[in-house]
Amino acid sequence: MSLFRYASSIYGGSDTLIGANYGLLPWFALLGVAFVIAHAVFKAVAAPSKT
Amino acid sequence: MTLGSTPADRIERHKFVDRAYHWTMAVAVLILLVTAFLPILGVKFEWVGIHWVTGLLLTFIVLFHIIRACFWQNFWAMMIDGEDLKAPFAKPGKYNLAQKLYHLAISVLILAAIASGLLMWRKVDTPFWQRDPYWLSDKSWGLVYAIHGLAGMALVTMVIIHVYFALRPDEWQFTRSMLRGWITRKEYTDHHDPRRWPKS
Repeated sequence: MSLFRYASSIYGGSDTLIGANYGLLPWFALLGVAFVIAHAVFKAVAAPSKT
Repeated sequence: MTLGSTPADRIERHKFVDRAYHWTMAVAVLILLVTAFLPILGVKFEWVGIHWVTGLLLTFIVLFHIIRACFWQNFWAMMIDGEDLKAPFAKPGKYNLAQKLYHLAISVLILAAIASGLLMWRKVDTPFWQRDPYWLSDKSWGLVYAIHGLAGMALVTMVIIHVYFALRPDEWQFTRSMLRGWITRKEYTDHHDPRRWPKS
């Protein structure tokens, strides 16, 4: 899946960049959730809080 | 008597003006993300006006924060230094290495979103000007839109991580200090190096 969106040229030239690919939005959200889960598991298992 | 219940037991961490900045920025970023991404997810409403006005507010408060950090705060307290790299898990100064890295990442993303957003503002009718979609070339607009979109999506990741740390019980001292301004003297001696963050 590309990071960017492109528009096809009607004149047959190269495609033009028109912005970011918003289809990646769920993946960015999942990345945040994955970090949260990984950190929570690490803290619970490998480095339990002293407080 | 609970810890921090008397002023003598409190160490000031964030002044009111800095807490007000933080929460105003938080509300602005949330409004910007909601107005940016709900229409993409299919929730249709008149979002453009709310988005650019909130973006302008964010621009002003970030400018205020930069000026304040340079002239009224200890600018270097948030900068990664040699001691952070030599002993990343030793007692830090005011901010630990993870907080400094987060601040660096969020600064890059917010500044990228602001810079690209200000350029995109030229394509919106405002009380100040009529929109001009030909102000930049198609290629340049594409790059501006790509930077704005990627910064916005990355901010979703960063907001999720930030809220998680704010809610963790072992990070509560930092959340409380962003709400009420102080940490307790015990939290100060337990978690900070007084040499790197001197407080009387």
